[in-house]
Amino acid sequence: MVGIAALVVAALVLAATALGLLKRATTGRARRVRGPVVRAHEVGAASLGSRATLLQLSTPMCTQCPPTARLLGATAAERAGVVHLEVDVSERIALADRFQILQTPTTLLLDAEGRVRGRIGGRPRPDSLERELDLLLESPA
Amino acid sequence: MTASVAVRPAVVDPRAPRFGAAITAVVLLVDVFLGVAGATVAAAVLLAAVTALFAWGAFAGIRRHPYGALFRRFVRPRLAPPAELEDAAPPTFAQLVGFLVTGIGLVLTILGVPLAAPIAAGIAFVAAFLNAAFGFCLGCELYLLLVRARLIRPR
Repeated sequence: MVGIAALVVAALVLAATALGLLKRATTGRARRVRGPVVRAHEVGAASLGSRATLLQLSTPMCTQCPPTARLLGATAAERAGVVHLEVDVSERIALADRFQILQTPTTLLLDAEGRVRGRIGGRPRPDSLERELDLLLESPA
Repeated sequence: MTASVAVRPAVVDPRAPRFGAAITAVVLLVDVFLGVAGATVAAAVLLAAVTALFAWGAFAGIRRHPYGALFRRFVRPRLAPPAELEDAAPPTFAQLVGFLVTGIGLVLTILGVPLAAPIAAGIAFVAAFLNAAFGFCLGCELYLLLVRARLIRPR
């Protein structure tokens, strides 16, 4: 039994490590998608960015949401016509359901029309975020 | 332009919950070992202790957790100041998730369900390990899923 117990413990550590490495490898990278159009009123905003919007979906129980907000805010501030919006999806569950949000923060990159063009799960990697955003700004359609 | 979710004042050095999670992960791993090796009573007692500590963190708040006191007393003086402080609510919620997982395991163990203690300890271990080693807060991620499942109402 002791041998089996040692094996179980070792397998558990290996599995948890693999899970962590997998999550770390996939988190924060921008994925190019072509989703539906988001309207400003759906996210409680008066208007979206004239060229692009960084729509951050957060909850109050999210350790990575405040640093993500700082990063997205700074990234938006560097570019004319780009706006950062942060929405508490626990207050707007329909939005979470519609975009199948499983983790927070999730950032949706919206183009000038509000169409979802990119998606980042977890705290964004600055290089990936900027590359995807600048690409979107260069190809508005 | 940034439109922010309301700021909460209670903050914590993010390394404090991770330090606590590291201790919790080791203790839970020992518990899995004891439970699978057949030391059923020892595994149940250890799980009860972990459950009580999770309850402490969940109901008194992460900032009053004894591991946090250990961190402030012995670890923090040796470290540089934290790069950023974190809201205390998410790790406190994660303690509640840990309490529920280990608490259910403990109840099932007392009811005589075989291997309930090591299975609950194993699940909680994965969450504590991911927090300690990678900084991922699995309990926090569950919050949105529970809200979406309409199992909890957002505050």
